[in-house]
Amino acid sequence: RINSDGKPAKFQPPPKPVIIDKQKQREQRRFLSPEFIPPRGRTDPLKFYIERKDMIQRRKVFNIPEFYVGHILAVTTADPYASNKANRFVGICIQRGGKGLGATFVLRNVIEDQGVEICYELYNPRIQAIEVLKLEKRLDDNLMYLRDALPEYSTFDVNMKPVSRLDHEEIPINKLQVRMKPKPWSKRWERPKYNIKGIKFELPEKKMKEAQKWSQPWLEFDMLREYDTSKIEEKIWKEVTEELKK
Amino acid sequence: MMPIWTKSGKKHAVTLLKVQDCHVLRYISKEESGGKTSKLLVGGKNASPFYKSESAMEIFKEAGVPRKQKVTTFNVTDDAIIKPGTPLYAAHFRPGQFVDVTAKTIGKGFQGVMKRWGFKGQPASHGQTKTHRRPGAISTNKAAKVYRGKKMPGKMGNIYRTSFGLKVWRINTKHDIIYVNGSVPGHTNCLVKVKDSKLPTYKDCNKNPPFPTFFADGDEKLPEDLYDEEIFQFTDPSVTYA
Repeated sequence: RINSDGKPAKFQPPPKPVIIDKQKQREQRRFLSPEFIPPRGRTDPLKFYIERKDMIQRRKVFNIPEFYVGHILAVTTADPYASNKANRFVGICIQRGGKGLGATFVLRNVIEDQGVEICYELYNPRIQAIEVLKLEKRLDDNLMYLRDALPEYSTFDVNMKPVSRLDHEEIPINKLQVRMKPKPWSKRWERPKYNIKGIKFELPEKKMKEAQKWSQPWLEFDMLREYDTSKIEEKIWKEVTEELKK
Repeated sequence: MMPIWTKSGKKHAVTLLKVQDCHVLRYISKEESGGKTSKLLVGGKNASPFYKSESAMEIFKEAGVPRKQKVTTFNVTDDAIIKPGTPLYAAHFRPGQFVDVTAKTIGKGFQGVMKRWGFKGQPASHGQTKTHRRPGAISTNKAAKVYRGKKMPGKMGNIYRTSFGLKVWRINTKHDIIYVNGSVPGHTNCLVKVKDSKLPTYKDCNKNPPFPTFFADGDEKLPEDLYDEEIFQFTDPSVTYA
């Protein structure tokens, strides 16, 4: 070939292929279970280190999957009084509490028109298996308001098949606005201290305005309440992943 | 405090106690102390030597040991005497043993009679004038005096108290930590005295304890963690009921 200049065309190498390394993308998303983060206090960090060693040891033997509040889980526990000696419960995770070895999560389901909530300990040796049936995050960290919502929002099929995961990225957030039973509720969920975004409040405007009287707008600027966990999380995440790979 | 699970699936709460730089300071013979048994002075956590007088530092200089924050006495039989200057480790205790733990309780300051002694107080309404948390009557008419030791408001807490008969579940030899059943008096990171239990039910519980104590430079090489027989160790698979 000859260019318009009259000189022979310089050899242009083909453009470099863009390799999307899916493994790297997977690693970029870091998840550290919230019970690893030590609470604020005057306890010796050695105590948390030793507790973490025990927790990692348990995780090596028994797989605790990554899950958030709003996921639907099935937990099988060993029960001496049940036939088959095992007990399977399916439910939506409403809250995750506790730190260290005493970390717990509460599963809620409605079985035969009766709401049932069971609080399981993550590191209890009686738990045989934890399966994540459906992955979805909700708008709130704490779904205790499902107790005052219509029962259809808490019913889940006991024999539900696990929904297959599409990619190893981005857990979908379900922006469902839940409808509530008529008042009175167990807690006044419309008040700003609970900061709930997942309820469709059908209360009159006057009640909503009155609830804002209990708002404390200075709380987010309170410096004594600040607890920045980013650096601690990084350190602990590195430690935990290194130990789990061994 | 931490949870601990047994092989049958039961959960118990456990307090972690760290043995931090403990050394034997002095041996006091029976005649010198005037008691029934000879005594051993033991010192705890290391502290700065600059805040005490020279006379107080003499004990530590004799033993060749940095200044300790707390010094306690243990009554010892003659065959259990240890040379001053030997370090004491957590491996002195073994899992399955029973132990008494003494410490100063959390200080609550000057407290009223309801919190300090558990009095019921008076009703909140129905005509009570300025009397809701007061002790009420302090003596009878016939006595014509107030008895010594009458429960009244005063400084509460910051006194030595003991929890008896606590089981030792686990010992970590690397970090010198003793896992003791239940709760222990005192705030977090306070200094605590751990003794073999004096309760008659646990008199014969110690089978082959390290006597007189566990020596680190001896022949025994202990594993990093010593567990009681009933504890569920996290290296095992999950508990099942057959």
